[in-house]
Amino acid sequence: MGFLAQISDAVEKYNRDVESNVQRARSDVAYGQEILAKWRATQGSIKKTKTPTGTELPRLALPELDEPGEIARWLGYEGLPGEFPFLTSAYREMYLEPDHHEANSNGRAQVEEPTRLFAGLGLAEDTNARFKFLTKQQRSVRLSTAFDGPTLYGVDSDSDGVLGKVGEGGVAIDTFEDMMRLFDGFDLATDSTSVSMTINGPAPAILAMYIAAAKKRFGDDVVGKLRGTIQADVLKEVQAQNECLFPVDASLRFLGDMVEFVSEKMPRFYPVSISGYHIGEAGATPVQQAAYTLSNGFEYVDLWKSRGMNVDQFGPRLSFFLDCGLDIEYIALARVSRKIWAIGMRDVFTAGPKAQLYKLHTQTSGRSLIAHEFQNNLTRTAIELLIAYANGTNSCHSNSADEPFTTPSEQYVRLAAQGQSILLEESGLFKHTMLALAGSPGMKAVERAVEAAILEEFRELDRLGGVLSAVEQRYQRAQIQQAAHRYEKQIYNNTRPIIGLNRYSSNASMPPITMVRPGTAKQRKQIARLAAFKKKHKKAAEKALEKLGEVVDSGGNVFAELINTVEHCSLGQITEKLHEVSGHFRPTV
Amino acid sequence: MTKQSAPLRLLTAVPVCDGHDSAINTINLELVRAGAEVIYLGYHRPARDIVRSAIQEDVAAVGISSYNGGHVEFFAEVVAQLKRHGAGHIKVFGGGGGTISAADVKVMQKRGVDKIFPAGTSLDSMVEFTLSRYAKVKQPKSAKAGSDLALSMQLSRGMSANKSASAKSARFAPPVLGVAGPGGAGKTTLIDELVLRFLKQNPKGRLAILSHDPSIVHNGALLGDRATMIHSQHDRVFMRSLATHGQAGGLSPQTEAALRTIRAMPFDLIIVETVGIGQEALPFKEALVSKSFFVMSPEYGSKLQLQKIAMLDVADVIVVNKSDQAGGARASVEIEARIRRNNRGQTVVSTCAKRHRDTGVDRLFEMLMQNEMESAAEAKSSKKKSKK
Repeated sequence: MGFLAQISDAVEKYNRDVESNVQRARSDVAYGQEILAKWRATQGSIKKTKTPTGTELPRLALPELDEPGEIARWLGYEGLPGEFPFLTSAYREMYLEPDHHEANSNGRAQVEEPTRLFAGLGLAEDTNARFKFLTKQQRSVRLSTAFDGPTLYGVDSDSDGVLGKVGEGGVAIDTFEDMMRLFDGFDLATDSTSVSMTINGPAPAILAMYIAAAKKRFGDDVVGKLRGTIQADVLKEVQAQNECLFPVDASLRFLGDMVEFVSEKMPRFYPVSISGYHIGEAGATPVQQAAYTLSNGFEYVDLWKSRGMNVDQFGPRLSFFLDCGLDIEYIALARVSRKIWAIGMRDVFTAGPKAQLYKLHTQTSGRSLIAHEFQNNLTRTAIELLIAYANGTNSCHSNSADEPFTTPSEQYVRLAAQGQSILLEESGLFKHTMLALAGSPGMKAVERAVEAAILEEFRELDRLGGVLSAVEQRYQRAQIQQAAHRYEKQIYNNTRPIIGLNRYSSNASMPPITMVRPGTAKQRKQIARLAAFKKKHKKAAEKALEKLGEVVDSGGNVFAELINTVEHCSLGQITEKLHEVSGHFRPTV
Repeated sequence: MTKQSAPLRLLTAVPVCDGHDSAINTINLELVRAGAEVIYLGYHRPARDIVRSAIQEDVAAVGISSYNGGHVEFFAEVVAQLKRHGAGHIKVFGGGGGTISAADVKVMQKRGVDKIFPAGTSLDSMVEFTLSRYAKVKQPKSAKAGSDLALSMQLSRGMSANKSASAKSARFAPPVLGVAGPGGAGKTTLIDELVLRFLKQNPKGRLAILSHDPSIVHNGALLGDRATMIHSQHDRVFMRSLATHGQAGGLSPQTEAALRTIRAMPFDLIIVETVGIGQEALPFKEALVSKSFFVMSPEYGSKLQLQKIAMLDVADVIVVNKSDQAGGARASVEIEARIRRNNRGQTVVSTCAKRHRDTGVDRLFEMLMQNEMESAAEAKSSKKKSKK
């Protein structure tokens, strides 16, 4: 029995233990009194707050229970925020306004908001300008970088046949100098700045460029202070997003090297974002998305533990990323994932509390947005934001309404950013009291169904020999493709209503949309400066690439070496060298 | 359609630096259900690979699904390259949801793209349009001698005539390697790894591959071997994908004709690939191939199961692939015992084709080249003899 089956057993045991605890609370009088006393103490410690119209509310809303069995049941199946297994939320006070009664007693700065908007277009300086525009709409500096097609595939801007794609859909990054331009004017060393980078196949080289750029500007000491995330999730690339460059074994080795380095030297950085978003966007059902994300995460833990890494050192450096669409399953997806992760890590991988936390970034679903009457996308995204925050996400990107057409224009990205501010800062839903929406009977019903379905998927993956074996048999890919096909059929059969597309559609012509495109002049500019870089570093590049090859062959830490390599080599040069020594990813379609 | 006409052949792909394949996967299935033969190239495909494949596969049209931008330039590049190779008759169509604006479509059509489906087009109307419009595409009258287009047209003619080429064109008669094996054994990967070594070690060598894909739905077929055979997408490799249409033995009714036509062309090596394992019928008649490999994985079950596999008695080399799996060593031992009993000079080789620079594949390749040199020498000496 593999660890996935063990985890399923552990979760079911947890549920049984809750039931026994309920019985004990009722039969063992002393125990029952103990529970009651604790509950009353908790109730008593809750601070109060006042709404803008003068209503007094508790900062944490608890159900009105006074029977020990029911209290035990609630604590086991819902639980206090920030307490194992973190069903309600990872932390105690998620998006609440700071407590005014504490009156700066601990001098804490205002809570960092969860909004993190993904941006990338044209050349590094264009994205830099967009970063500056976005940070005007937010309290903290929380950046997230989208890269263009060539960069995502580890290809240089001057590569044969990619001209039209340079700067399209994301920023063109070829060298560490581009990285310096990208973050010009941002203080990467401070507490209130964090940078996320959405890239996978070439992730180790890109993070190496980021580090090299930061060192050049702020000195070597900055490395341990850097805050941020890099996506780098090999398994979901193979299953869904298709951006894997090297054979799976080699890709996993490079990722492991990067995670090891970051766990030791960059304690505030997340070297991987274990993702379900792309699995969902490729067509998976919410249950499949959650199941494959969790199982991929557990697979990484198993791989890195076997490698000799300390689970309590790398565990806290793992982060997660889920989709949020309009299907009802989404009202429980994140919370169930937190529960399963916590139990799996504690009971099967014997990890400590920090590694039990499933820290989550959510993005509203791109696939749910359509071209027809696209302004409806504002409503779709708003609903998805509500669901995501009701599920306690730690970080969130909201899509722009023009998503089906283009990388966001300023007009629509501003609306997307403000949508989150309206929900978190303007509306009272999440800022006064915890659990304003959590725990409704409907939410619990969805939760139970989703949890059972995820555990069933775990058992199926286990029967197939585990995650890697299932990947080799194309299991996840086939499931995702089938689900995608079914989704499309449902749309064309009208069994899945999409307003404006297959229901209440009008023949109104499309309002004008600004397409954000880089233009040939910019593309040629990028190619020119890349040529200059390559010329300047020609000799040093040859030596650096040879050294890199040696490190790969000798089993050294490839990521540590990449930080040196990027000083002289372009992304494309590095990718080619790694292909030479490690091979190419072979797609199975 | 009441007439028994050849099915429409199409090529589909996702452009370079783009991995959005959800739409094209669904569209492929619908096209195949409607009776088309779809050669699917996969994602992250440069224009050059798309054009080369389209010409070699003798398709009527190329469908490109693009959601990552740069489509105006990319589609135009595909059209231009097709024209440059004399294959302007192959139509280019595609879609990209809302990412392709109405203004873009105008520019693309001016630059030679035949049709772009706008966002929200129903699958049914896409399929209907494609099948009816591209059925009318005709091959050009002529092609530059020696070009891929010329070879491709000649091959198609040879196959539809279903006649063997006459004996006198056996002036090339390169060695033919037959590779058979059940699905899941890693046969396609193995062949691609052999091709990689061949291209490296023979800087001028040219290779032809006949690939048989058993996937059929109604009358159509999804031919996806090219997507996996990444190294075989190369100017010195000519590949034709054939649908087996349910024929037992894993070959197409036209394979023999195809093979005889290709043997008369200037290739140094021909590889014929099939899933046939000999339970229904031995896929390789003696005259068809000069050497045969049978590729299997360690997961065949018990020794008794081995007895049912007729190819184990016929193939020159048994390749135990996925040797890294549990049971790899045991499998080799059991199979060695079987071929010893056969006493026919067969060999067993263990490989792990998915591994970069696998030494088992290196060994297999050396054996293949040895054989190739021997048969080339034989051919030379027999020619000399016949001249005397």
